[in-house]
Amino acid sequence: MNTFLEAGVAIYVALAVALAVWGGIFLYLWRIDRVAQALKQELERDRARTLAEGEQRPATPRATVTRVGAVGRETVEK
Amino acid sequence: MRQRMGHVAKLLIGLWLAGVAVAMFLVVPQYEGLGNAGRIMIMHVPTAWVSVLAFAVSASFSGLYLWKGHVAYDDYALAAAESGFLFTALATVTGMIFSQVVWGVYWNWDPRQTSIFVLLLIYAALFALRSALEDGPRRRQLSAVYSLFAFVTVPFLIFVAPRLANSTLHPNCAFIAGSQCSGVTLGVGRIGLLGDRKIQLLSLDQQGEVVTAQVQVSEPGLRGEHLLTPSFDLASGKMVSRPEFPGLKYQLGLEKVDLATKSVLLNIEAPGTGLLDNRITLFTFLASITGFTALFVWMLTLRATLLSVQWALAQREGTRA
Repeated sequence: MNTFLEAGVAIYVALAVALAVWGGIFLYLWRIDRVAQALKQELERDRARTLAEGEQRPATPRATVTRVGAVGRETVEK
Repeated sequence: MRQRMGHVAKLLIGLWLAGVAVAMFLVVPQYEGLGNAGRIMIMHVPTAWVSVLAFAVSASFSGLYLWKGHVAYDDYALAAAESGFLFTALATVTGMIFSQVVWGVYWNWDPRQTSIFVLLLIYAALFALRSALEDGPRRRQLSAVYSLFAFVTVPFLIFVAPRLANSTLHPNCAFIAGSQCSGVTLGVGRIGLLGDRKIQLLSLDQQGEVVTAQVQVSEPGLRGEHLLTPSFDLASGKMVSRPEFPGLKYQLGLEKVDLATKSVLLNIEAPGTGLLDNRITLFTFLASITGFTALFVWMLTLRATLLSVQWALAQREGTRA
């Protein structure tokens, strides 16, 4: 009979397997969590940067052009 | 500071559940008659409870999405439904392992097994629905409505349906103190069902104060028949002999005898009855529920974060409505 399946040993083998599986799941979750947090922070920084750039950008020049055509006068704002 | 607290909490979850695993295998005493197989209850029941919690959270966030319309609520609703599905699958698999040890088969379409299978199908359909629709408000609204309707079935499938059926081998009526397995009352020569076993009361023999019943037990599908002889002491009103069902850890109990009508009350007796009376088992059980609930909260926030990151990236690329 396999030594690992003997009465006094099997329970420790089962415990070791359960802990190994849980350890693997925990490390997987931990790793994904770190990556997700880093990505989230990067996106927030990126958004803040975009907003700041938008505020610093000089105002778009505006002008009013009056086009005189055959059918009345049309005012176009650019 | 908040991030550091989060890391500490997650490490604690890891250590806590590792401790629960150690306690489950090495600290909790063996259950009478079930041996080491009974230890799986420490994991099976909490995962089933957490799945109900997860589906309730999913329905709550779905309702919030329909009310407020924030995309983040949809992310949380989906994350909770996915976690609930995972915990339900875990409860099903651990239940199947227990079933193999105690009933001799992994799956026998017991009412409890059937109801949890239907629940898995209902939530699998939610994911199928989501994947069949284009990303956008319509998908989120339909999913939210479906999730609300799906949750309506949860209390029925988890708590009501399995208790409506008399022919269940699921030990909820035997393990939890105060619950009842009603059993079956039979006269001599009559046939009844206990779990998935056909039983027939052949005769009643009285020797002094002890009444012994001759009961023929048929295996599912009538594959074989066995004669069991449970007995009852009229003086003390207690069972004397409780033979085990062939191939099972469950016993056949003779709970009441009425000699005037020549009828008896026969019932399934689970060997682990009252296991939560043991304080070590009770504390490990509560620790397991706490640990799995904390794990669910972590998985929920993690998956919702991933979905929100995915959403933000897609929005930046202009591919999400």
